[in-house]
This record gives sequence, structure tokens and C-alpha cells, in this order.
Amino acid sequence: MKLQILKSIIEKKKNKSEFAIITNLKTGESEIFEKDKPLSKEMQVYTNQINNCFKSKKNGVIENSEIFVETYILPIKVIVVGAVHIAQYLVDFAKSLNFEISIIDPRGYFASEQRFPDMKIINKWPDEAFNEIDTNENTALIALTHDPKIDDPALQHALNKKFYYIGALGSKKTHENRCQRLKEAGFSDEQINSIHGPIGIKLGGRSAPEIALSIIAQLVSETYKK
Amino acid sequence: MKNSFDEKILEEAHDWVKTNQKVVLATVIQTWGSSPRQVGSRMIVNEKGDFSGSVSGGCVESAVVRECIGLIKDNKPSKKIEFKVSNESAWEVGLACGGEIAVYLEQVN
Repeated sequence: MKLQILKSIIEKKKNKSEFAIITNLKTGESEIFEKDKPLSKEMQVYTNQINNCFKSKKNGVIENSEIFVETYILPIKVIVVGAVHIAQYLVDFAKSLNFEISIIDPRGYFASEQRFPDMKIINKWPDEAFNEIDTNENTALIALTHDPKIDDPALQHALNKKFYYIGALGSKKTHENRCQRLKEAGFSDEQINSIHGPIGIKLGGRSAPEIALSIIAQLVSETYKK
Repeated sequence: MKNSFDEKILEEAHDWVKTNQKVVLATVIQTWGSSPRQVGSRMIVNEKGDFSGSVSGGCVESAVVRECIGLIKDNKPSKKIEFKVSNESAWEVGLACGGEIAVYLEQVN
């Protein structure tokens, strides 16, 4: 692989764009494929197969050829509400995973840069913060404040936008009250039951890093269920 | 399809190149049967045999390192190698899981 190609792959990953690397296994030549951009003459014969791999996000050698396609998919957006202690560990665990975390917390003391270096923290109320983030059914929400004033608007947004994972921290009692409020706000049982609450898989631990681990484990598991 | 894992191996390869190391990328391009790592999994190897990442669960990495060093020595741009089920009575490396994988080696130049 040419160094120039390697550099542009890294650049494209940084810029969060979706692309594929096409390698001719015979010659060792590779090129970058992007949607709606023309391929080199040599690769044009394989346009359909390459497009199919790209659409289905698959890696592999095109049948009866020496062409290898490797697709790069966008990181999954994970919105964390509450710049609390657990969130600090979530950021740590997510570093080697394909999750792009954004933290929302209107409370200035929590959302400080010192507590979350190199992190995008939105120091606003959820309703306002969601105007800045593009969300859809491929987005995940982790609500950690267990303060209805902050968590509830975020949960409502996530339910309306059909996030694939919604988790909310809090005891069983807290969660029951939360479900009641969402019911009164007009959400169906099916929608409310889709919320993972109390959040995380049962590991037994109660410290911040242990809870963060149980949340990340559940998030990964739900990611592969889709 | 979603994937919650992000290989940062190409970023690491770039760091190695910046410090004047010769780097070979080894990529899993095909698998048959039960193979430990998916197509697209990578490891990088330098001329000294230092490596990072993986193409299996530790089963064939040492052979891949040897092949990569050979590629650098012979100054060849690329090569494809295949690994099959291991033979317990032989010293050769193989995949204990019974799968087969094809790995593509290419120098960064």
C-alpha cells in the first residue's frame, strides 16, 4: 500500500466519512472508493460488486477476481446525559471501540474540561443540545443523571427518534417513577419497555468503573443484535 | 450492519513509518470454516519482527511475522499466504480451530 493511500485513509477516518479500500491482490495497487465518485479505469469493471459490498458494509474478495474490498463504517453516535463519574469511565472504555461519545450536561461544574479532556461536552439542557446533534435510529442514549429535569427530555427525544439503544441509570423504584412519567407524557408501553432500566447487564459491581463496564457491555450486545 | 470495534492499526502503521521503520500490513482477506478473526482484521510487522494487532487468536502470528520479514528482505511489494488446519504431529503452524484463512501481506511504500 502506498503511504499516500494510508495517510488519506487515516484522514478520512478522522473526518468521519464512509469509504472503502479496493486492493488489486495481483498488483498490490489500492485505491479509495467513495459513494458517487468514479473508480479508476482498471476497477470500473467491478463497479456493481464494489457498490454492493459498500452498501452491505461487507469486506471480502470479489468472486472470481483478485479484488479485495474493505469498507469503513462510521462510528456509532452515543449520547451520554450527565457528565458524572461513570461517564468518565465510559469515555475510557469507548476509546478502543467504534463509539463516538458526546456528553450533555447543563451543570457547569460537572461538564468541565478538566474532568473530560479532549471530549465534546455540550453544556446545555438536552432540548437545546439535541439541536446541535444529528440523531437517528443508529444513535444510542445513556442517561446518567437520574434527575427527571435533565434525563426525561433526553429520553423523550430518544424514543421519538427511535434510538436503537436507550438506557437510564437509577434504581428499580426510580425507573418505575420514570416509566409512569413517560406514560403520562403519552408514550406507549412498548416504547417505555424498550428502555434499559435499571441500565447495564448484571455484573454485581457497584463502583463507577464497574457500572460503566456493565453499560458498555450492554451497549455492545445491543449493537450486534441489530 | 454495525460494528462496535475500531481497529486503530493503520494509525499505528503510520506512526511506525514516521519513525523510519519498514512496515508490512498483513490483512485477513478470506476465511473458511471457523476462523478466529474476521475478514479485514490486521496486524503490522516491522523489519525487526516487532508486531501489533492480530490475524488469528495467536495461532499463526509467528509465521506471519517470518513471512513479513522475508518480504522486506526480498524487497517484494506483496504476497498472499494461506493457513489451514494444524497438524499436531508436525511443527508447522496452523489453526487449531479447524478453520482456514488467507492473509495478504503488503509493504507500505
